[in-house]
Amino acid sequence: MRAVGSSIPRLDAWQKVTGEAPFPGDIYLPDMLHMKVLFAGRPHARIRHIDVSRAEQAPGVVAVLTARDVPVNEYGLILPDQPVLCGPGSAKEGADVVRFVGDQVALVIAESEAQAEAALALIDVDYEDLPVVASVEEALRPDAPRVHAHRESNLLHAYRIRRGDIERGFEAADVIVEATFRTGFQEHAYLQPEAGVSYVDEDGRIVVITAGQWVHEDRQQIAHALALPEDRIVVRYVGIGGAFGGREDMSVQIILALAAWRLHQRGIRRPVKIVWSREESIIGHHKRHAMVARARWGATRDGRVVAAQVDLVLDAGAYAYTSTKVLGNATLTCVGPYEIPNVWVDARAVYTNNIPGGAFRGFGAPQGHFVAENMMNRLAEALGMDPVELRERNILREGSILPTQAPVPPGCSMPEVLTRLAEEAGWRRDPEKGWQAPPPLPPGDPCQDPERPCTSLEATPGPRLRGRGLAIAYKNVGFSFGFVDECHATVELHGDAAIERVVVRHAGADVGQGAHTVMAQMAAEVLGVPLDKIELVVSDTAKTENSGSASASRMTFMAGNAIQRAAQEALRLWHEEERPAVGHFRYIPRPTTPYDPETGRSDPNITYGYVGQYVEVEVDPETGHVALTRVISVNDVGKAINPQLIEGQIEGAVSQAFGWAVTEDFRVVEGRPLTDRLSTYLIPTIWDSPLNIQSVILEIPDPQGPFGARGMAEMPFIPLAAAIVAAVRDAIGVWIDELPLTPERVWRALHRPAEREGGT
Amino acid sequence: MGVPIRVEVNGRVYEHTVEPRLLLVHYLRDVLGLTGTKVGCDTSQCGACTVLMNGLAVKSCTVLAVQADGAQITTIEGLAKDGELHPLQQAFWENHGLQCGYCTPGMILAAYDLLQENPNPTEEEVRHGLEGNLCRCTGYHNIVKAVLDAAQRMREG
Repeated sequence: MRAVGSSIPRLDAWQKVTGEAPFPGDIYLPDMLHMKVLFAGRPHARIRHIDVSRAEQAPGVVAVLTARDVPVNEYGLILPDQPVLCGPGSAKEGADVVRFVGDQVALVIAESEAQAEAALALIDVDYEDLPVVASVEEALRPDAPRVHAHRESNLLHAYRIRRGDIERGFEAADVIVEATFRTGFQEHAYLQPEAGVSYVDEDGRIVVITAGQWVHEDRQQIAHALALPEDRIVVRYVGIGGAFGGREDMSVQIILALAAWRLHQRGIRRPVKIVWSREESIIGHHKRHAMVARARWGATRDGRVVAAQVDLVLDAGAYAYTSTKVLGNATLTCVGPYEIPNVWVDARAVYTNNIPGGAFRGFGAPQGHFVAENMMNRLAEALGMDPVELRERNILREGSILPTQAPVPPGCSMPEVLTRLAEEAGWRRDPEKGWQAPPPLPPGDPCQDPERPCTSLEATPGPRLRGRGLAIAYKNVGFSFGFVDECHATVELHGDAAIERVVVRHAGADVGQGAHTVMAQMAAEVLGVPLDKIELVVSDTAKTENSGSASASRMTFMAGNAIQRAAQEALRLWHEEERPAVGHFRYIPRPTTPYDPETGRSDPNITYGYVGQYVEVEVDPETGHVALTRVISVNDVGKAINPQLIEGQIEGAVSQAFGWAVTEDFRVVEGRPLTDRLSTYLIPTIWDSPLNIQSVILEIPDPQGPFGARGMAEMPFIPLAAAIVAAVRDAIGVWIDELPLTPERVWRALHRPAEREGGT
Repeated sequence: MGVPIRVEVNGRVYEHTVEPRLLLVHYLRDVLGLTGTKVGCDTSQCGACTVLMNGLAVKSCTVLAVQADGAQITTIEGLAKDGELHPLQQAFWENHGLQCGYCTPGMILAAYDLLQENPNPTEEEVRHGLEGNLCRCTGYHNIVKAVLDAAQRMREG
């Protein structure tokens, strides 16, 4: 059996089904202490004074740390604009201000978690509340209070794209559609809340064992805040209980290292453990950015999109996190995978006192495509043209020029994905009329239909309105916009006459997607050895070199390219009789370039993955509930290294995207989240998740990919929401411009169109 | 003030004096060191802490350790016998019924309870049986497949 292309079970499955796999919270070290964080709990305030004396005297308390104890009191993935601990006494300008409820103010380290928690209440913090910037609209007013006082405004970053002549484009258009879209925050809700342990080892190194997405980036940020060289820090991951982008920024990493270091300096040589509750996790890490976007697109009668104008604003919340990068993706994708001659995009990320926006599966592309694909579906309707036909007439194809005026990288398979999607969904291509949709879905009572799988929504029997919709998307694989991407791998071949043992060293994080299994498969394939000879040494800064993050759908692509070449090098040395034969490779993909600030000209991305989705929904007219009854997801993955892992990514992404589109309503009032637990923030259950998902995997090789593989894990999230909106329109006759499609919102759209919120 | 309890966990009897407010999940994890049982929320939504108490699935975050006095508890660590996986564990493995694996122990024990009551469930009945357990990675597809597969393996003995 070949290793690549086989659905072999994941390598960590035994440990995970027996409960042996350790997650960070499962680590109990001898003599360890417990840490709790005092969160600000208020969205905007200046801390005049912190008095920790009562807390320090509390039973079991070993230490209380505040801003004074942080050597360099700042961090941030792209911009160090966030204090590690807020409060007076550090050199960081503005560190005495809390800017969202999850800002961390003090750390209590005690003999037990209960004692640490009890002592939190004894910390006296004198706050002076400041005016709250609750929304992007408020933030952009000229007289708005500033979230970061030293900045000129609340604008974090802006991009623009200017291609062609937008006015002439609209003049040439026969139909023009306009809409204003709103999408909400989304919580990652990985099942494992943040946790970790830290200690100072025998060599004086600070060791942090946790779950994240990029060990070397964690190390760099810890070293910066502690003003220590990186080789004094070791970051190691154990089991990672889901990530989805939510572990890309720091949560407990720096404070764990800080606690171990400060205790060590005070002669206390004991490990420290922290475990966040679900509520702490929800306020303590970033969210998918909420978006407001106004769009105006025009097309000619024959279905040429001739003008696309979008003004898009992301709520960056209190700190930068990865907002500029997410914004970059939204900027590119809000005009979709189409070749449009006249494009005008203004995109801004804006500071508010909300929980920061940051990385979450799709990284701006879901918001961008929500605009683009809604506009395409509405243009198709306005033109009286089939939505597949309209897309095909404008689609990006091999050699097309992107809105940023660079050619799409070779291997563009968007047309093939669209064609396959249309065929799977029952469309037929008429030689004269082009694509023709199958007959409409009739309304029906699912309880009368024995063929149809049931959902819990049938608790109320009765007729359902049925509809269908589709959307397509593309997204970058790897880092973008001029950021130099790199990935190291080392492959060691041990043995004498034959290869007896292979050690693959790679830092890449397996966040549940199965990256380590895929890495072993690719190594085994190149080396021609059985999989059980491969031993992985992973996710440890002391033993592996920088891999970049498990994000941007890049791990298979980047790790594969590095492992493939390292294995080839090791084989060459093996044949030259070196024992052990050690091959190392640092893969650097082709360079990209940043947006030109005036025109947006750039070669933005290394390569892309392509996806198309068709959905059917049932709307209960009595309650407004939307059930997703059928999904076809067509994904070009270049080469399926492990098809079953890929199907797992598709099914998981569809469920999560259904959550974003329908069930997950993250409510924030004046900077205070109301949905900070899983009892109020409703992620899809086993009933909500669509029962009928047809995963179609295309393998059109990416010329840059290992074995032709391109990244895929984010892509099946991206088009789903726009497809659902189109299906709901088909079912109830109303376009809804705002996510999520809560029962109330859908019910109002159906029964009270005049009262609808947002005036759209 | 401590309360003495006597609990049989995975076939072994433990006697401890515990605080009355100690949750069963913390007893299992912090006192017995059985960390296969997970905590994913504080509101009894997620089901990651599901264990068997006298053969029935319970969320061990909503049971006090003192309530387990005299009870038989099975955690995920007690499911495999003599190094041989239980058919449910085997089926979750082979059907890719997990990704990150954090919900898996609770999912498997909830499924265990379900299959005891109903050895031949329909897909719908599997979904009913697992509606108290959340998974964020898989979309539940392969979990349902795994449970149906396990049911068949167990029926065939």
